[in-house]
Amino acid sequence: MRISDRRFALFLMTPAALFLAVFVAFPLFRLVADSFFKISPIAGGSREFVGLDNYVRAFASEAFTGAGWRTLAYTLVVVTLEFALGLGMALLFTMLGKSSQIWRTVFMYPLMIAPIVAGLLWKFLMIDNFGLIGTLLHQAGILSDPNQIGWLSDPGIVLYSVAVPDIWLTTSFMCLVLFAGLQNIPGDLIEAARLDGARAPALLFRIILPLLRPVIAVALVVRGIDAARAFDTILIQTNGGPQSASETMSLLIYRTMIRFGDPGLASAMGTLYLLAMLAVAFVAVSTIWRPGKDN
Amino acid sequence: MSTRKNINRLATIGGICTVVALAASGCGAGGPASSSGSAGTSTVNVLVEAGGHAELTGVAEQCKKETGVDVNFVELPYDGMFNRLSSEFSSGTVSFDVAALDSVWLPSFKDAVQPIDELFTDEAKKDIFPALVKEANVDGHFIGMPAWTNAEIILYRKDLFEDAKNKADFQAKYGYGLAAPTTWKQYQDISAFFTKDGMYGTDVKGGVETEWLAHVLQAGSPMVLDANNKVVIDNAAHKEALDFYTSLVKDAPSGAAQVDWAAAQNLFNQGKTAMTRFWAHAYRQIPKDSAVAGKVGAAPMIAGSAGVGGVPGPWYLSVPKATKNADAAKKFVKCAYDYNDKGIESNLGLAARISAFEKYQDKPGYESFKPLIQTLNGKATATRPATEKWQQIVDTVLVPMLQKAVAGGDSATLLADAKKQIEDLLK
Repeated sequence: MRISDRRFALFLMTPAALFLAVFVAFPLFRLVADSFFKISPIAGGSREFVGLDNYVRAFASEAFTGAGWRTLAYTLVVVTLEFALGLGMALLFTMLGKSSQIWRTVFMYPLMIAPIVAGLLWKFLMIDNFGLIGTLLHQAGILSDPNQIGWLSDPGIVLYSVAVPDIWLTTSFMCLVLFAGLQNIPGDLIEAARLDGARAPALLFRIILPLLRPVIAVALVVRGIDAARAFDTILIQTNGGPQSASETMSLLIYRTMIRFGDPGLASAMGTLYLLAMLAVAFVAVSTIWRPGKDN
Repeated sequence: MSTRKNINRLATIGGICTVVALAASGCGAGGPASSSGSAGTSTVNVLVEAGGHAELTGVAEQCKKETGVDVNFVELPYDGMFNRLSSEFSSGTVSFDVAALDSVWLPSFKDAVQPIDELFTDEAKKDIFPALVKEANVDGHFIGMPAWTNAEIILYRKDLFEDAKNKADFQAKYGYGLAAPTTWKQYQDISAFFTKDGMYGTDVKGGVETEWLAHVLQAGSPMVLDANNKVVIDNAAHKEALDFYTSLVKDAPSGAAQVDWAAAQNLFNQGKTAMTRFWAHAYRQIPKDSAVAGKVGAAPMIAGSAGVGGVPGPWYLSVPKATKNADAAKKFVKCAYDYNDKGIESNLGLAARISAFEKYQDKPGYESFKPLIQTLNGKATATRPATEKWQQIVDTVLVPMLQKAVAGGDSATLLADAKKQIEDLLK
């Protein structure tokens, strides 16, 4: 039997397409469809079409807009710090060459820890009255009282405190990706720039970073989306509190659906969140990566 | 060409295998309800919060002997429990035949569980605390059998209270003797007295709402909603309760905003607080190697202007409508009532029947029972409002409001804001 290339390609794609249809497209369709209904949380209960009412309720709720801004702030803080630290470490490892092998492995260590465990670990480091960080800072003479800073109980700083385990966990991922990208920058290009008299800042900003751009785009988009859906580390540390000051969008959607029994509103929030993430990913890819534009 | 043919064949086989695998897994994930794992058998799956397993093990053993019903426990942490119930009830497929439900969940899950009116005989109703009989009845049907109940009492450090120097110093400073407090003024004085040298008089829990609500009851108002579901959170009793609650912040460990039950229990067991208002079961749960083991006394909840008032924390055994093993499940629920006292010797050490508590109240090691019974029988003791929005009101309004209050917010403004938010939620 002879088949055309086109049909052969179709055959190869079928399993993946089916998988995506069942596990991605169908749930997505259900999500969007559910967002137009008021649904009873108990199976067999009522299901009433309400048009855009759930979207109106979402936008009218302070919890939703608040969670949106908090998610944005959390993502910016986490990704910026991870990128800066990860790039610094990647450059250091590149500079050290082969002798950095052991350090690279050690640096990967947090990546192997489950987020929920890391969250718990940091909770006990920062918790009021018993936290090690407060005690150590007090013993070092930096704080006058071990409880001077309410890392997890002060609504003004809690969002940054709960970001710490996330940064600790995934800076190594950012470093790994950027380090791999750095390996692909031709050594002769760097050498030529040096011979032309370029100093370190010029090398970094004019040669290395522009050449790394596609890698940076992938790393930022992947980590950005990952950070924006932060859930487990925050849940275990503060459960979104105090005063909802660490409640990000994923936590809000989860609580709306499971705890408050409002699948329709949760679906509307989920759909809006999805659209926002798609827009961010699109902008990031088209501005940082710019596939094809440089050629 | 043969290579090409082989690839085609492989691709086709691969595609078919994937489709079959996906279809199979698809059926497993979202197919028709397979009902509980023990459909039609004499084994019942019982979903319980951590602690409930030990509490019901004695009952299960007795039930096996009497009725032949085998029990398989599934134990979950408190938060995970609600989420699991909520997910399973919303999917229509349940993995359990009996679930232990916290009282606040009953209104939310009332449509997903079966009536068990036949188990509430006149005799049974007489032996269960009245507030619990009332709460178990939702929309005219009994939907849960109380398995164990609890209430907040006062736990205090007997060793510190009996210390001669403390007694003399306290007498000199306040003009009356140091003893377990019987008025809230005394509670404030004692809290202030013990707050020194890295120790605190009491705790203030900003992460949970029940304790503040008990103060509301003591001040003579229904909690948050009145009998007609009108929001009364801005009345004088709520303000009085909130002002008293926050007055203790200065004598409590820092970070009150995030102090919840676990944190407060930990602070007391570590010897950081001299008194705590806490669920009675904690008395028997003080670890033997704790700094305070053997040094703790128990006293009833203190009366306010309306009398002694506490918020009962009962758990109810309910049978989901979706189970196919309802007969065996109901047999187990009946056993749990018949042998209710079996749970008292467990780690949780609680019961729901008055007769069970009375049987143990004079035995050594059960000193918390008398204060508990007194609190449960208190004039102002009442169960939480039966609204399915209760959990949402707690999570989105009451707890954030308390957290602002303990951080120094103005109580009248906070209560007025809370009223508006709750009215919006109930619309």
